[in-house]
Amino acid sequence: MLLDVRGETCPYPMKKAIEAMERLPVGEVLEVLVDHPPAIDTIRMAANRYGFRMNVEPAGSGEWRIYLLRDTITEVTR
Amino acid sequence: MTKPSAALGAVAPSGVHPQTLAGLLVLASLAILMLVGSRADPVFGMFAVLGVGIGVTLQRSRFCFNSAFRDLIQFRSGRTMKGVIVGMTVATAGFGVHMHNLLPNPSLGPIAPEAHVIPLSVALLVGGILFGIGMVVAGGCTSGSLYRIGEGYLASWVSVAGILAGLVLVSHHWNWWWQHAIRRAPVVWLPRYLGYGGAVAATLIGLGLAYGLVLWIESRGGVGVQEFTAPASVRSFHEKLHEIVAAVFGRGWPAPVGGAVLGFLNVLSYTAHMPWRVVGELSRWGNAAAAVVGLGPGPLQGTDELSACVVTVGGGVFTHGFLLNVGLIGGSLAAALLAHEFKWRIPRRPVRYLQSLFGGAFMGYGSGLALGCTAGAFFSAVPSLAVNGWIFAMALVAGASIGLRAIHWIP
Repeated sequence: MLLDVRGETCPYPMKKAIEAMERLPVGEVLEVLVDHPPAIDTIRMAANRYGFRMNVEPAGSGEWRIYLLRDTITEVTR
Repeated sequence: MTKPSAALGAVAPSGVHPQTLAGLLVLASLAILMLVGSRADPVFGMFAVLGVGIGVTLQRSRFCFNSAFRDLIQFRSGRTMKGVIVGMTVATAGFGVHMHNLLPNPSLGPIAPEAHVIPLSVALLVGGILFGIGMVVAGGCTSGSLYRIGEGYLASWVSVAGILAGLVLVSHHWNWWWQHAIRRAPVVWLPRYLGYGGAVAATLIGLGLAYGLVLWIESRGGVGVQEFTAPASVRSFHEKLHEIVAAVFGRGWPAPVGGAVLGFLNVLSYTAHMPWRVVGELSRWGNAAAAVVGLGPGPLQGTDELSACVVTVGGGVFTHGFLLNVGLIGGSLAAALLAHEFKWRIPRRPVRYLQSLFGGAFMGYGSGLALGCTAGAFFSAVPSLAVNGWIFAMALVAGASIGLRAIHWIP
């Protein structure tokens, strides 16, 4: 599943990532495209809270691709 | 993955990223600004350097006062707030020493020149609440909007336009607020009662307690974020050099590092003339623009009796505040380019422009009332050993909470 939040600033990238994480079918990877550097941290916070593992890679100047995968090892407590 | 030539459309010598070249060009232009300023007054050159330093620090550490308050309320995450507290701790010691040099005996009545000691009036509270709402709705405070202009955020231009409009509006209302709220309000400057040693100690204890409070909030269901750590395999000289360059120009700086550097630059700024401040100068820009279209405010009462970021009319182009703000934008632009992070960032939803405009206007009006923004009335006020910085912070928390509720309804 791909979520493109380029052009959005805090807290929207994180807010939309949470909505997508909640909808994400089991076993699928959520790919988030961001161009707002602080959003990497806020999405990481959300990933920790919602029990997702996160990987970030640069995707060109000022853009990053974030991969989110549901962490099946960690017990999710909310 | 990265297509440098496509990104900027420039032809670069092989191996050099076009953004690196552009960053070096911006730095060279800033050096010229510094030299031109120095011809008028040696301190001007220093303020250009300080402005650039502040811009680089804000960009590299993504230092965002808005996120410091918002993340603490929304996520119980104190990552940025801890950096803010570290910065104020550094500045408190430095400000204390400098104010002692300026005014050896604080018990006689006068306040150290240029210290951000602001009357404790209802205007300070209302200003802080309005500012807190505005920064969350706009997605960045005043210094944040300025450094994001350097990173290519189109919406930040709109925020700054809103801030200028708010400052012009509050300038028109200024005399009413002065007469009814600010004029008779008390100022509480701790060195007057405790001496410098006692005031510095009391402020450091306060900051320590605030840090403890942040830790306590985090422990109640907060989420931590791991800072990046250097790879352990770095061994050779070349690798070590590369690692340093990557840490300074490539990755973002950890929040406490950004805070400490910003606190140190703030001390330098005060030693040169005045603590770091943003909106007093912005009000001068706004009121100058308003005067062009015949909407400038009349004479402002009481502004000579006040320090910090009091609303201003008139004055020349090259002021210390001008160089700080312009240097800040330039420094952020240079840092973003050198990190290859510059990008024109254009919101796709029209409502975002409205949020920036109205959030900016709230921040402008609020900072005019409170005699400062998150920089002048908070980050430079607490180290001025004044009580007003703490009260403004509480008003910001209240405002940011309201702002969070507001944006909950804006998809």
